[in-house]
Amino acid sequence: MTIKKIFYLLSLFAIYSLFSLNQGYAQQMYTVGTYQISLPLGDTKEYTGNTSFRGIGFDFRYSVKKATTVGLSLGWNVFYERIRKTSEIKTEHPGSITGTQDRFLNAFPIMANVHYYFGEKRGIRPYIGLNAGGYYMLQRFEIGIISLKEDRWDWGIAPEAGIVFPVDEGYAIIINGKYNYAFSGMSPLGTDIKHSYLGINVGFVWVR
Amino acid sequence: MNGYNIVLRSVLRILLVIIVFILISCYPGEPLSPEDSDIIATFYNPEADFSTKMTYAVPDSIIRLDKDGNPIGKPGQFDQQIISRIKQNLDQMGYTEEQNPANADILVVASITTTTWTSGGCYSWWYDWWYPYPGWCYPVSYTFKTGTLLMTMADRQNQGSSDALWVAGINGILEDTNIGITTRLNNNIDQAFNQSLYLGTGK
Repeated sequence: MTIKKIFYLLSLFAIYSLFSLNQGYAQQMYTVGTYQISLPLGDTKEYTGNTSFRGIGFDFRYSVKKATTVGLSLGWNVFYERIRKTSEIKTEHPGSITGTQDRFLNAFPIMANVHYYFGEKRGIRPYIGLNAGGYYMLQRFEIGIISLKEDRWDWGIAPEAGIVFPVDEGYAIIINGKYNYAFSGMSPLGTDIKHSYLGINVGFVWVR
Repeated sequence: MNGYNIVLRSVLRILLVIIVFILISCYPGEPLSPEDSDIIATFYNPEADFSTKMTYAVPDSIIRLDKDGNPIGKPGQFDQQIISRIKQNLDQMGYTEEQNPANADILVVASITTTTWTSGGCYSWWYDWWYPYPGWCYPVSYTFKTGTLLMTMADRQNQGSSDALWVAGINGILEDTNIGITTRLNNNIDQAFNQSLYLGTGK
């Protein structure tokens, strides 16, 4: 099953869930705002090896059953690394170039999601979830006066697990881990890469 | 809504604004120091057989290139240091210097751009300027900043219309000669040869 199909099915499930609610169940909306730290993995670690401390995310989750929400997840994660190295040029006129390289990656995940919560209402609630959709990737590679960029949309998924700690009526603190994985991609240098990173996110939940 | 809720909601909103502000204001990309700005680009002719051309000659002066790539006879403060370092690297790679350029396999010519200049095309009219120096073609089009040190290796037997064997450019290094220029010149000339290990008997 391709990620597009997963995304469509998840979206359909979310829409279906919203319009076929149990009449006896009080629907609630949870707005989640998180500060995100991201650890690059795999190809992303090769491209920008530094841990990202620049990240923010918003989730809009609608309860569709007692322990299940569906919703939308948006994020922004900034990766950056400055390295000085020699890169080989493999063109018709081969050679090498040495210089300080600035490598940027701005990942904007946009995903539909579903989450299942354990525990009792008003108690500490561990949960698991799946996000499916894609990433808008803005990548820039700069060396001296040369700047290369590659902006693209890549489909991907992000399995997630976390814990919600209630604070007061209508508020909670949330901590979660999210494994972000894009199924395709290309670096500004023209090489095929698949970005992935582990997000460690902490934030607040507003309940309406 | 009680007072506690109002305070909590206000605190959360302020925290959110602070996080967004941090994200925007801390967007990475610090300015580069002069050393960090140095770029060394090397290109070679894939048809060249470097191992059969082991004697070299280097002109005893460095030419300046105008915006069209034409030579200007104008000596500079670091010319002898540059020439000496080039020879040192060639010797370390196993080349032997020929005092008579007419007997050398290769000519290694240093030049410095006086404006932004894009390499490419052939330059044969230098024949009159330095004998035997019929010129060569640049194998690649590349834009160099003002103050770029170019090192070009040409086949003495096959010049005028053929591609240079090897071209190295140290981008813009002589534009600002204030900070550590002597060390930077030496390090970057060394780097140009270090990243070209196919030279000499390497290929």
